[in-house]
Amino acid sequence: MTTVSIPDVMRILPELILAGFAILVMLFEPFVPAGRKRVLGWIALLGVLVAGMAFTWAPPNAGMAFSGSIAADGFSYFFIFLFLTIAALALLGSINYLERDNIHHAEYYALILFSTVGMCFMAASAELIMIFLGLEISSLSTYVLAGFRRHDPRSNESAMKYFLLGSFATAFFLYGIAFVYGLTGTTNLVDLAADLAQPGKWSTLTRAALILMFVGLAFKVSTVPFQIWTPDVYQGAPAPVTAFLSTGPKAAAFAVLVRIFLGLAGPSGPAAFWVIWISAALTMTVGNFAALLQKNVKRMLAYSAIAHAGYVLVGLAAAMASGSTEGASAVLFYLAAYAFMNVGAFLLIAHLAGPGEGRTEISDFTGLGRAAPGAAACLTVFMLSLSGIPSTAGFFAKFYVFRASVHAGLIGLTIIAVLNSVVSVYYYLNLVVTMYMREGEPQAARTPMPLPLYSAIAASLFAIFYLGLYPNHFLLLSTLSSKPLP
Amino acid sequence: MLERIWLIPLLPALGAAFQFFFGRKVKKSVVSLVSVGLPGVSFAWAIGCFFALLGRPEHLFTKVLYDWWPVGAFHLSSGAMGNLNVHVGFLLDPLSAVMMLVVTGVGFIIHVYSIGYMAHEGGYYRFFGYMNLFMFSMLVLVLSDNFLMMFVGWEGVGLCSYLLIGFFFHRRSASDAGKKAFVVNRIGDAAFLLGMMLIVVTFGTVNFQAVTEAARSGHYPILDPTITAICILLFIGAIGKSAQIPLYVWLPDAMEGPTPVSALIHAATMVTAGVYMVSRANALFMLAPAAMALVAGIGAATAFFAATIAITQNDIKRVLAYSTISQLGYMFTACGVGAFAAGIFHLMSHAFFKALLFLAAGSVIHALSGEQDMRKMGGLREKIPVTYWTYLIAALAISGIPPLSGFVSKDEILWQSYAGPHGHLVLWVAGWVTAGLTALYMFRQIYMTFHGTSRVEPEVEHHIHESPRSMLAALVTLAGLSVIGGFIGWPDLLGGSDRLGHFLDPVFENPVPVALKNYSAGREFDLMFLSVLIACTGIYVAYRIYVRRPEVADRVAKSFGPGYEILLNKYYVDELYDALFVNRVKNIGNAASGFDQYVVDGGVNGVGWTTRLTANLSRLWDLYVIDGAVNVAAFFTKLMSYPARVIQTGLVQSYAWLIVLGVLIFMGYYLVHF
Amino acid sequence: MVAEVTFFILSALALGSAVMVITRRNPVHSALWLIVTLFSVGGVFLILRAPFLFAVQIILYVGGIMVLIIFVIMLVSVDVSGRQQQFSRQWLVGLTTVLILAAELGYALYRGSKGFLLARSAPAAALENNTQAIGTALYQNYMLPVEIASILLLVAMVGAVLMAKRKME
Repeated sequence: MTTVSIPDVMRILPELILAGFAILVMLFEPFVPAGRKRVLGWIALLGVLVAGMAFTWAPPNAGMAFSGSIAADGFSYFFIFLFLTIAALALLGSINYLERDNIHHAEYYALILFSTVGMCFMAASAELIMIFLGLEISSLSTYVLAGFRRHDPRSNESAMKYFLLGSFATAFFLYGIAFVYGLTGTTNLVDLAADLAQPGKWSTLTRAALILMFVGLAFKVSTVPFQIWTPDVYQGAPAPVTAFLSTGPKAAAFAVLVRIFLGLAGPSGPAAFWVIWISAALTMTVGNFAALLQKNVKRMLAYSAIAHAGYVLVGLAAAMASGSTEGASAVLFYLAAYAFMNVGAFLLIAHLAGPGEGRTEISDFTGLGRAAPGAAACLTVFMLSLSGIPSTAGFFAKFYVFRASVHAGLIGLTIIAVLNSVVSVYYYLNLVVTMYMREGEPQAARTPMPLPLYSAIAASLFAIFYLGLYPNHFLLLSTLSSKPLP
Repeated sequence: MLERIWLIPLLPALGAAFQFFFGRKVKKSVVSLVSVGLPGVSFAWAIGCFFALLGRPEHLFTKVLYDWWPVGAFHLSSGAMGNLNVHVGFLLDPLSAVMMLVVTGVGFIIHVYSIGYMAHEGGYYRFFGYMNLFMFSMLVLVLSDNFLMMFVGWEGVGLCSYLLIGFFFHRRSASDAGKKAFVVNRIGDAAFLLGMMLIVVTFGTVNFQAVTEAARSGHYPILDPTITAICILLFIGAIGKSAQIPLYVWLPDAMEGPTPVSALIHAATMVTAGVYMVSRANALFMLAPAAMALVAGIGAATAFFAATIAITQNDIKRVLAYSTISQLGYMFTACGVGAFAAGIFHLMSHAFFKALLFLAAGSVIHALSGEQDMRKMGGLREKIPVTYWTYLIAALAISGIPPLSGFVSKDEILWQSYAGPHGHLVLWVAGWVTAGLTALYMFRQIYMTFHGTSRVEPEVEHHIHESPRSMLAALVTLAGLSVIGGFIGWPDLLGGSDRLGHFLDPVFENPVPVALKNYSAGREFDLMFLSVLIACTGIYVAYRIYVRRPEVADRVAKSFGPGYEILLNKYYVDELYDALFVNRVKNIGNAASGFDQYVVDGGVNGVGWTTRLTANLSRLWDLYVIDGAVNVAAFFTKLMSYPARVIQTGLVQSYAWLIVLGVLIFMGYYLVHF
Repeated sequence: MVAEVTFFILSALALGSAVMVITRRNPVHSALWLIVTLFSVGGVFLILRAPFLFAVQIILYVGGIMVLIIFVIMLVSVDVSGRQQQFSRQWLVGLTTVLILAAELGYALYRGSKGFLLARSAPAAALENNTQAIGTALYQNYMLPVEIASILLLVAMVGAVLMAKRKME
């Protein structure tokens, strides 16, 4: 007989607060005059802050909650804070964007918060049903967000594609869960691990189920060949949404991958491992090489996002190969570092693209270094960090992943990864070169950055340099957080 | 005071950040207050730190701020396990103290000067932002306690140099010069990086003190091949940054930058980073006599060749640029003969008088509304007297007229290259002749600019005016330093005690014998006399040719005929490089990358054929990528990225199909293999 | 024996009508075939002696949701979609891929069927408690998922309204 207990509720407090604020924002909208909708944004941001603070001031005890549905462990805390940070940055970057493009509605903020709720559940659940629900909540919210520029056909196309293919991929995930349930009679990861630990439990079907679950998640993190939707969707979605989309749901799906594959892979470890290995190699290579040809900044960054998913998979492969925490902590570090640089880059591009996002071609940024030196410098830092130049977060993220994979003996994969990161420098620097070394008048917007965006960019920059100059603290944190409970 | 030594680089960085974020919005006065004030405070702090250091008996202070890069355990080349942990840390010893004072002091003065000089230029805040950023990078370079952090500063100053050379970006020549500097420097940087990696695998650390200790432990024999390789690689790095043969070609072009930049970066501080680096690694170099000989040889050769070119140049700043290259050659000669202290001494005095020369030249250019051609000057002596007198002092100093600073430091180098343990008569002769040439080209410049009849264009003529106070103040201060700067290293022979040399000694104390060859004091005195004599001769010749009988100049030029032509065209080195590397590379539309490619690959013909082939295939290339290797890779990657685009049709059905295909393949793999 | 035969008939009916759902060009026909599918699945529930699920299946899906769907189809002009060109002409490729995938899954099921905990019909004695058992499972062990599903529905609702609204001021 189980009842709801206070400690249990404390363990899902941030999710509850976020959901509450999401509803609050929508309820508030009728009372806010048309010109002052930004108040809603601040309420949403307040929600994120309150959720974070509630969690900081009253940290729940580690342990399972709700009959084993929720695993409150360092791993989930890490991801919840990461999601809250991403949500806060995205909200800050959205307020003026929505005003500028005249699509200022409370639902936007509510959906960002709901999506964050879903992501938090994904990272914190030890129950496949819960993970599925979290995945669906975050996906549904982002489908709608991707189409939020309703009068822009590109945005509609983006939302439609994302919705159709996303549902398709989630079906695979659900199919995998069904198989697992059929085989073991449980969907709880802890019970599942115990059940699969018995001899003779692993069969071809178990592996097939694992593959199906992997496909559903691989779609979210966009690994080859399930990356195919990424460029179209990232390009069409409003840029602040892309900022959110390319970091939050991706990190959440990785959290689930780590939880499932490190926890369950068991005797099929080698088998699951090779799938990850091949995916990592393909994803990095396809992402980077396709990015080389792009003429559109958002599309280029979409391919770069694919490539980065590949690097994270390298970390996952290392974690699976060696069984040490080094790989998992590298994955966590990478996801956080990547979140800061990618959110920053997309938010900045959202601003520079001007009203209606009309200026997103790389050529539009020609000569921006002189016309808007501040914005150009920030964008340069993001690009340098994405390409992994030392003293930025991107460098240490890559460094830890590569180190983990070398220590795990994955020399071949490491070489592929290093070669790939060399290739990637080309297209990141291309943008920098365009901004600084090409003659011409920039087409991109030169209006000064509004304060909320400014603070989001400044925070991202700070994080990038903090992680790039003092990586140790954060590495320690990610190492401590890298052991999921089950 | 010392505990907060990190404030010294941090303050200019704050200034740069301020200009970056707010510079455009605030008034010019605020810009100058912040950007000149912060380096000023930094300078004051540096003085404080210097005296605090003097107060310490061992004249040594280290401060580790935090662990920067815990690389972890790895195998050294010797087979032992190393554990590399790179700190962000500061090392203040006599060597870095001298550098710190020179950088902050001269830097501050030049910042003050810039207030007046840049007053009417656009991008005022941008200029000061870059300048402050440069100060930060240079101070990181100088104060770091390990090679890696030094490299960070090294790259930083390179970047600032590039940005500032191209400051007048609307002039095509300026942005080209910036690129040239960047590309040429990259070659040196690559070597520096390789050298640093060799240090890591050999010593297992990049910390200066640890490396020095290991090198002096006697564990490594003299002429150890690894150490020699390290030294040569490091020296190639220094060649790039300090503009020595064969990588000096970027410095004269760098004069496209604003004059304060030329003074600060391309005369007083950045270009001397190579000398500082070689001195910093003195313990290694002492174990590699072959590398030392290379250093001395290249230094002396550069000193001589650059001086000969300087005689024929007509651009007031270009003369000074070649002069800088030549003087840097002196410093390397000193390092090469093991007289690191003498090199640093000359570095310091050179910083004073060369910065002064540039600033005064800037004052002349300012007065003439931007005119830089000395053939269109003349007779400016009365019109801008302060500039004239300070220029004269600097010229006397650089020519080595006693008792000015240049005389003392240069003479120390000449004496060491004659009598030092690694010295050689050839080195001395080269240095001695160069001293004469130096006096000749300097006074040719003085006479062409300030004496004789005015050849100034009429419309410029009535605009001539003395520069504003802030500029003159900087000139006078530097002139004072140029005069008295020599006394801190006044040699024993003339009744001094060479305090600077003794101060620096602990840094350069190597177990390898550095005793001078046994010559009498008389010999030293004779040599000193000879060098003063040749300097006076140089001045006299310049006087004869350019003042007494200006028409002689042309006759001399004619009588030398082809020789003069060669000098005027700077030995055709630029043309040679163009022909060898640049032009061919331009064929593939990719000057920068190809330059690297050729230099690195060496096999000119084979590569030439390949590149021509790729050139036909790669019309799409529209980007100047610095690194040649990356560029070749980039081509193939582009080729390979087409399939990815073919798949990306945009049709949802195809996408869904592809997803199913993926599932199918993964699952098939599983079913087949397990 | 009777139960098995019934099961196979119902399954075949469910699958066959599902194929009909996606191949009909007229949406009304599709909807009607979908009702057949749902009924067949309901029948399977009944064979498994899960009367509550059977009832829910019929009342909610067939009675509620399907009626809504048909309403919507009636409101939207049906002819338009019938006249439109079909986009995808690669049905052969698609079919082949799907068949291979199905074969793979079938093979995996065949190989792994031993470990499969096949659903067995509950003994007749447990029949009375069936509804109660579902209630206990939903509101005790799976309490959180049930509650969280409400957030999912809320999001779906908000999203649908947002997408459907013609104009937003």
